[in-house]
Amino acid sequence: MMREPTIKSWRSAEQWLLGSMALALGVVAGIWLLLGPTPMAAPHFAALALLIAALAASLILMGRVGRTRRQMEAMLQGRMSAEARATETLRNSEAQWKEVFEHNPVMYFMVDATGTVLSVNTFGAAQLGYSVSELLGKSVLRVFPAEEQRAAQSNVAVCLENIGQPHNWEICKVRKDGSALWVRENAKAVRRLDGRLIVLIACEDITERKQAENALRQSEMYLAEAQRLSRTGSFGWRIASGEVIWSEETFRMFGYDKAPSIKHATIFQRVHPDDRARVEQTIDRASRDGKDFAHGYRLLMPDGSVKHVHATARAVMGASGEVEFVGAVTDVTARKRAEMELHEAQATLAHVTRVTALGELAASIAHEVNQPLAAVVTNAAACRRWLDRKPPDLKEARGTLESIIKDGNRAGEVIQRVRALVNKAPDQKAVLNINDVINEVISLVQHELLNHRISLRLELSPALPLAVADRVQLQQVILNLVVNGIEAMQPVMDRPRELVIRTCQDDLGQIMVTVKDCGVGLAAENADRLFDAFFTTKSGGMGMGLSICRSIVGAHGGRLSASGNSGPGATFHFTLPLDQEGTP
Amino acid sequence: MTGRRTSPSLASAEDPIVFVVDDDSSVRESLSSLFRSVGLRVEAFGSAHEFLQCKLPNVPSCLILDIRLPRLSGLDFQAELAKADIQIPVIFMTGHGDIPMTVRAMKAGAVDFLTKPFRDQDMLDAVTAAIERDRNSRDEAKVLSNLHELFATLTPRERQVMALVTTGLMNKQIAAEIGLAEITVKIHRGHIMRKMGAKSLPDLVRMAELLEIGPPSGQPQT
Repeated sequence: MMREPTIKSWRSAEQWLLGSMALALGVVAGIWLLLGPTPMAAPHFAALALLIAALAASLILMGRVGRTRRQMEAMLQGRMSAEARATETLRNSEAQWKEVFEHNPVMYFMVDATGTVLSVNTFGAAQLGYSVSELLGKSVLRVFPAEEQRAAQSNVAVCLENIGQPHNWEICKVRKDGSALWVRENAKAVRRLDGRLIVLIACEDITERKQAENALRQSEMYLAEAQRLSRTGSFGWRIASGEVIWSEETFRMFGYDKAPSIKHATIFQRVHPDDRARVEQTIDRASRDGKDFAHGYRLLMPDGSVKHVHATARAVMGASGEVEFVGAVTDVTARKRAEMELHEAQATLAHVTRVTALGELAASIAHEVNQPLAAVVTNAAACRRWLDRKPPDLKEARGTLESIIKDGNRAGEVIQRVRALVNKAPDQKAVLNINDVINEVISLVQHELLNHRISLRLELSPALPLAVADRVQLQQVILNLVVNGIEAMQPVMDRPRELVIRTCQDDLGQIMVTVKDCGVGLAAENADRLFDAFFTTKSGGMGMGLSICRSIVGAHGGRLSASGNSGPGATFHFTLPLDQEGTP
Repeated sequence: MTGRRTSPSLASAEDPIVFVVDDDSSVRESLSSLFRSVGLRVEAFGSAHEFLQCKLPNVPSCLILDIRLPRLSGLDFQAELAKADIQIPVIFMTGHGDIPMTVRAMKAGAVDFLTKPFRDQDMLDAVTAAIERDRNSRDEAKVLSNLHELFATLTPRERQVMALVTTGLMNKQIAAEIGLAEITVKIHRGHIMRKMGAKSLPDLVRMAELLEIGPPSGQPQT
């Protein structure tokens, strides 16, 4: 648009020049004509032609002039409106910038070297609960809480030391109403045209972010604290990279210094040598299968102490589409120790009750030892007499010696059984036939049964599968049930006292032992408490017997229960799971 | 538990027999061996019931009984025997004898009370004594039954006279008592002495005592 008129004006100037030359020639020709050259002569015609041409050129030129003038007017008018538009635009722009300055959601401050507010935008003032006029000319420190004022001053000082360098920081401000406002400030010191140093500050409200950060920090702190309290650390494991990430508590548990990531080889170093192969196997399988896993193992710490941990991991699809594990590892040492102590206490209690039960059976047991002993002594005496005969009767003597051996062994067996029950032996699970266990117990209570005029009926299934159990513990259970049965039948006078011990397999194929008496039976109100510790219906009872029996059977994976008979008396039964191959 | 017979029969032999009742076969067998080694016949049973089932031979014998027996205890068994009027000396054995038990057994007539294990000699002594006692009582019973047989041969009058004679009355007094001539009393007396096989008056008096012929009623007894 700017070049067009110039070109036109250049053209019109050319035209003007041509027009003027034509006019001048026309004037010359006219003058010459007026001076009277010969009409009709050739110069006359030439002059005439020139004149006509000059006239024509003048006409054209006049038209051109008019047009040019119009063009000029139009151009002038156009230039004037453009100026007005520019002024308008500038005014608008300034208003916009003002708008931006005042209302941009950024707080702008301009302070002088002493910290006096030279300028502040409306938004900035409003954010702090002030009006602009309330802040202008005041110390900027009034918008900072007392504890931040020193920092604010030093921030300004830093800017003033490095003029032109931008600085930023996060700081907490205080609103007029006293509430806090977190801001991130970008500031820079500049020298004004008048030479004064000022600091320009733009502040962005980051209160929400700060709150989120605080909340996150808090939550992380809670998590860390919770992990510490629950002795549970967390971990992540990317199978592809083999990278394992631990939480602080996991590091603490394993006794390693915190690191961004850790390798499995390092972890295995801590695993107790006895458990290492198993743990490595689990980890290998997990990395192959990418399936959830859980395992317990021990850690051997550098100080020689042993920790028990239990880890559970869940396979998840990571962001990159690879399987990774997210898991938790818990220090269960205290629980393990408590379990062991509980187990030990139970074993001690079981032992005490066993010995107590044996004490009650002392007379019966003494009889069981004394019988073969009496037979041995008598046989020995008889043997001597057979030998003293003249001639000695060697056949009879040998017969008595055989009996002596048999009876001596029998007495020894009884003593062994008693000793096994009295001994506080640790758990020794072995494959055994439950019928044998029952017969061993019966041999100890035989005379107790006789004494109480109780007839014993054994219905032992000969084709029972073997069980894996602790012989002594099972003997204790059976002994307890038999003695209970005997005691329950003591008041019975009007019917034969019969105790039935039966073995069979239940519907699930488990071994089931039943001890049935025809005694006083179970009172309905006691049925629930029968197996509670310290619950007893006997005047001299401690109330531990059935409680211990139930825990023994439970520890074997079976169940001990009681029920009333349809007739008089009660029945106790317990089950034992079968010896499954591979079961430890 | 069943009794095992350790000698072939209870037959007629005159030798004494030892009966053993114990539920423990070892004890039974050892006792059998011991008694056989000294030449005694033995009969062993596992229960009181089995013993009662067998017919006891009429020879000197004794019973060795365990005080703890299935179903019927030794002491109760002893009482049963007494009730059934089976007169057999009983020697008790026990695993752990206590005083009340011993007292009760002895009061009920036990010959001895041995605690297992016992010395063989003690057992044999007890058995010997028991058999001797049984033999004696059997002899006494035999004498008595003989006397009863002899006494049965006397006429009522003779029995009457015998009762008076053995109370120490003189012939004259007797004659007065029952209203006979003294000479008749004398004749009766002679018959009595002969029939009863009495060698002397004191002998007759002893017989009367055994026969429990009481003077107060003055009536002849059967």
